[in-house]
Amino acid sequence: MQRTQRRVNRAIFFGVAVGFLMLALAATAVVWAFQRTQDYSERVSHTLEVEAALAELEALHERLEAARRGYLVEVDPRFTETFDSAIAAMPVQLDRIHDLISDNPGQLERLSELRDLIDRHQALLRDSITEKTAGGTSISAATILDEEDIAIVERIRALSQEMTAEERRLLVLREADERQGILVSTVVATLAGIVFLLVAAGTIWATQRTLRALAETHRELHRLNEDLESAVEERTAELQRANAEIQRFAYIVSHDLRSPLVNVMGFTAELNASIKPLNDLIDAVEEKDPEIIDDEIRFAVREDLPEAIGFIRSSTEKMDRLINAILRLSREGRRVLAPEAIDMNALVEGIIDSLRHRADELGITFTAEPVPTLVSDKLAVEQIISNLVENATKYLKPDRPGRITVRGHKQHGRVVIEVEDNGRGIDPRDHERIFDLFRRSGSQDQPGEGIGLAHVRALAYRLGGTITCESALNEGATFRLSLPMALAPQQDVKT
Amino acid sequence: MTSHQTVNIVMIEDDEGHARLIEKNIRRAGVNNAIKHFVEGTAAVDYLFNAADGPAKNGPALVLLDLNLPDMSGIDILQRMKESDSPLRRTPVVVLTTTDDKVEIERCYDLGANVYITKPVNYETFAQAIRQLGLFLSVIQVPEPEDGAN
Repeated sequence: MQRTQRRVNRAIFFGVAVGFLMLALAATAVVWAFQRTQDYSERVSHTLEVEAALAELEALHERLEAARRGYLVEVDPRFTETFDSAIAAMPVQLDRIHDLISDNPGQLERLSELRDLIDRHQALLRDSITEKTAGGTSISAATILDEEDIAIVERIRALSQEMTAEERRLLVLREADERQGILVSTVVATLAGIVFLLVAAGTIWATQRTLRALAETHRELHRLNEDLESAVEERTAELQRANAEIQRFAYIVSHDLRSPLVNVMGFTAELNASIKPLNDLIDAVEEKDPEIIDDEIRFAVREDLPEAIGFIRSSTEKMDRLINAILRLSREGRRVLAPEAIDMNALVEGIIDSLRHRADELGITFTAEPVPTLVSDKLAVEQIISNLVENATKYLKPDRPGRITVRGHKQHGRVVIEVEDNGRGIDPRDHERIFDLFRRSGSQDQPGEGIGLAHVRALAYRLGGTITCESALNEGATFRLSLPMALAPQQDVKT
Repeated sequence: MTSHQTVNIVMIEDDEGHARLIEKNIRRAGVNNAIKHFVEGTAAVDYLFNAADGPAKNGPALVLLDLNLPDMSGIDILQRMKESDSPLRRTPVVVLTTTDDKVEIERCYDLGANVYITKPVNYETFAQAIRQLGLFLSVIQVPEPEDGAN
C-alpha cells in the first residue's frame, strides 16, 4: 500500500518534471524559429542591398562611359568633372560591395576580376580623354569602338549580372533552408505543446487525486482520533474498575487473613502458657520419683514444645507484617490524591532533617541540590522520597563514609528527582525485582519485609510517574523518580 | 453491676476461636456474667429482639459485636439496635473486630456504637485488650430495657 503510493508519487513528480522540460523545449523552439525568420529577412535585405550596390556600380559605369563619350564629342570641362567624380566614386562603391559579400569567396573572386576590369577600362577611358585633350577635335571611331573596350564592358556587365544571379540563387537556397527550419521548429513546438498539454492535464489530475486523497486521509484521521479518544476513555474506565477490584480484593484478602491469624497466635500463646504448669509437673514428679519421667517426655516439654511454639510465633508474626503491608498498599491505593504545589526543596530538607540523628551516628553526608517545584500529592511524594532516602541510609557500604545526594531537574514537562548514594549497590539482575512486593536484593542484613520499594512504585504509578534504578554492585545506586509537572486532579474512584 | 438483674453478655462472633479467646480473657478479668455466643447474625438478631430471655424482653445486656459475619454485616445489626424506636437503642454495643479501617470506625460510631476495639493480632496485646475490656465491663452501668417496648 505504502510502496505503491510511493511509486505513484514518484511517477507524478516525474510527469511534472517532464512537463516543465517540454515547456522549456517548446519555448526554445519558438525562440529559435523566430530568430530564424529574422535571419531570413536580414538575408533578403542583404541580397537586395548587394543587388542595389551592383546596380549603382553599373550606373556609375554608365555615367563614366557617357561622360567620356560626351567629352569626345565636345570638349567641355563639365564632362571631365562628371568623369572625375564618377571615377572617384567607383572605388567607394567597390569597397562597399566587397564588405557586403566578404563571406562569399566565389563572389569575392568575381569582384576582384570586376575590379581589374574596371581599372583596365578606366585606364582605357582616361587614355582616350588624354588623347582628345592633346590631339585636336577629331574623334577616332576606333577609340569608341575599340575591340578591347567593348570586350571589357561586356565582361563587366556579365560579371555584374553573374553576381546578382549568385545573390538571387543564394537567396532562394536560403529561403528553402529557412522554410524547412521553420517547419521543423513548428513541428517541435507543436509536439512540445501537445506533450505539455498532456502533462498539464496529468498534473491537474494527479493534484486533484492527491488533494482528494489528502481530504480522505484527513477525515479518516479525524475519525480515528475520535475513536481513539473514546477507546482511551473506555479503557481508562475499565482500568479504574479493574484497579478498584484489585484494591478491594487485596483489602478483603488481607482483612480476612488476619482473622485466623488471631486464632493461631492466640492459641499458640495459650499453648505456651500451659508449658509452665507442665514443667512444674515434671519438676515435681522428678523430685518424687525420677523413674516415671523418661528423657523423651522431658525433651518434649522442655525442648520440642518451646521450639515449635517459637517457630509458629515468628512465622505468624511475619505473616502479620506481610498482611499489614498488603493492607497498607491497598489502603494507599484507595486514598484520593490531592494535588497541590509542593516546595520540593523544603520537603527534601524535612526528610533529611528527620534522618539527621541516625545519619550523624553513621557519618553520612547529605547533599540536597535544588529540585523544581511540582504539583502533585504531597503525602505520596513525601513517602516516596523519604523511602528512597531511608533506603540509601540503610544500604551503605560500611567501609566508606556514606554520601547521599538528592537532586532534580525538569525534562520534557516532567520533573526528574534523583536519589543517589555511594552504598553497596544493587545487582543489575535485581533492578526489576526490588520493586516487587516482598522481594529484596543483596545480603539480608537489614530489617525489612521488601515492602518499601513496592510501595514506592505503586505510589509513583498512581502519581502518573515512573521509577527506575541505576546501579552496579558496590558502586552505589541512583533511583530516578520521574513525575508529571502537574498532576491532574482526579475524580474519586470509589471502591 | 448494681442492677437487680444480672447483665447478660451477648457475643456475636463468627469465629469460634476468637470467641473462645475473648471468653477466656474476659473470665480472666474476673467477669462472671453469662456469655451468650452466636456465630450468625440472623440467630443473634432473633435472640436480641424476640427471644423471651433476650435483652429486648428481659433484662439488661451488653453486646460484643463482630462486623464480619457470614450471613450479614455487623453494621446492619448495629443499625437496627440503634434505631430511634428500637428497644435496644440504649444497650451498650462494643464493636470488636479485625478491621482498623478509618472509614469503618467512623461509620460505627456514627451509627451509635459505644466502643470500637480492633482485635490485635499480637496475642499479648489481644489478651490485654480483652482483659481491660472485661474490667471495663465490670464497672459500667447498663440501662434496663424500656418498659412496654414492643
